[in-house]
Amino acid sequence: MTVLHAWRAARVTPLGELHAPHRMTAVLVRLTVQVVLVASLWNGLYDRTPISAGMSREQAVTYAVLAVLASRLRELDQYAGRDTVIQHMHFGTIVYWYLRPLSPARYHALRALGEQVYGAAWALAGYAVCLAAGVVEPPRSAAVAGVFVLSLLLGQLVLYHVMLLLDQMCFWTVRNSAAMLILIFAQNLMSGVYAPLWFFPAWFRTLSTFLPFQATLNVPLSLYVGRIELSDAPLQLAIQAGWVVLLHLFTRFLWRRAARRVISQGG
Amino acid sequence: MNAVRIAWRVTCLNFRSQLEYRTEFLLMIAIGAIWQVSVIVFATVLLTRFTGMGGWDSSDVLLIPATRMLAHGLFVLVLGRMHGIGRFIQEGQIDVYLLRPMPVHRQVQLQYFPTNAIGDLTVATGLMIGALSRSHLDWNAGRITYFVVCLVGGMLLEAALFTAVASASLRFPTADYWSRWLEELLGTFGSYPLNVLPRAVGGLLTFGIPLAFVAYFPAAVLTGHGHDTGVPYWLAAASPVLGVLAYLAARLLWRWSLDHYTGVNG
Repeated sequence: MTVLHAWRAARVTPLGELHAPHRMTAVLVRLTVQVVLVASLWNGLYDRTPISAGMSREQAVTYAVLAVLASRLRELDQYAGRDTVIQHMHFGTIVYWYLRPLSPARYHALRALGEQVYGAAWALAGYAVCLAAGVVEPPRSAAVAGVFVLSLLLGQLVLYHVMLLLDQMCFWTVRNSAAMLILIFAQNLMSGVYAPLWFFPAWFRTLSTFLPFQATLNVPLSLYVGRIELSDAPLQLAIQAGWVVLLHLFTRFLWRRAARRVISQGG
Repeated sequence: MNAVRIAWRVTCLNFRSQLEYRTEFLLMIAIGAIWQVSVIVFATVLLTRFTGMGGWDSSDVLLIPATRMLAHGLFVLVLGRMHGIGRFIQEGQIDVYLLRPMPVHRQVQLQYFPTNAIGDLTVATGLMIGALSRSHLDWNAGRITYFVVCLVGGMLLEAALFTAVASASLRFPTADYWSRWLEELLGTFGSYPLNVLPRAVGGLLTFGIPLAFVAYFPAAVLTGHGHDTGVPYWLAAASPVLGVLAYLAARLLWRWSLDHYTGVNG
């Protein structure tokens, strides 16, 4: 029965997307154009520069294109589904999360799991096309591929908890859209979505090592393109796992505190 | 005159309402600034790591993001509420606006004060000062006038793009998805010389999604790269005119879409 509840909660977003073909077409068009533009930009930049910041053209293009594909994992049109925490807080419907036979923390995690699996299908299909078209390079060895997959999974867990922190912030602040935008911006900038972190100054990369954002995307992508050697992978995986544990404990604490703040209409 | 007075009073009240949540107010200014700083960071990274961009030197390249940012800041300040119209439609706000004795478009623009525009414009002005101080161009009256006209044209072109998406949102609320993508595209690919891209891709960003006309073509004409843009010189130079025409067309589309708006209950 628990499995059935979990399945029903996890499939909400994918089902919503599958019943909106125009939205899926939009995702397909946007993803295609974005991949073409990003690959063209980096290829164009490398026209007269064979190596930059220690990265070859192939490494830079692969990193940038994979970053675009990976960013699809959590970028669904959740707002249209009216099931974001900020919308529930705005309309006062967050209270229903506390009236179901499923804890809000579990419901949130299951919804995110469904979204990430659905997003992964898009990313995987995009990766297969890019690989076949020669836009991205294949991993150098089976070991690199294995470590990359493990690192990507850990990175997605870190990303889930970072996004959860954003959602949990809604319980404490009436207006928090600016703070959310700032955190999303920091996540994109410091994870390598805008540009591979290897191109940024040394002080910026040092700063990034103390924050969880680079663990979401920069680490798995750097392992894939060979900027982080396999010998350094255990340390990087351990750091990612450390962030997962730390953020999980913190968000679990926040769920307990958040529950005390929820009141139904009328108090 | 009465309409202007009402618009001004509503704007002042909106500004005061934004001040009610002081932290959010300051963060909104910060977010405007931070988004724009991201463009500067990316441009700086590219300029320092690669030998120029598309044959442009760094001072000329900087004029593109500076122009785009200023045009964008003005758009956010004056006409930017078109960007979030999907939410107004979802929440049924448009139905309320239709009952009031004020044009719906004006009511949308007076929905709230765009605090983030303060941050946008502050950073854009800073970048423009930086770009101008590095510039070797002779900033005579003609060039300054053309530049100001280009800023207005860029603002109107961006407004036209978002108004077109907003018009689509009136029929298909999820079309709002495209406005976020459009903003992302403008922020990244609207800030660099497009001749660094393959011709077909540059053509897409010129004739498909005309973001080249916002800042790239005006900056190319001002810096003497107007003949190397891949389009006739006169077309690149006429970018501000295209902005005006596109905005007028977008407003007609908005009016037509509003006439055919049926609301959530049909």
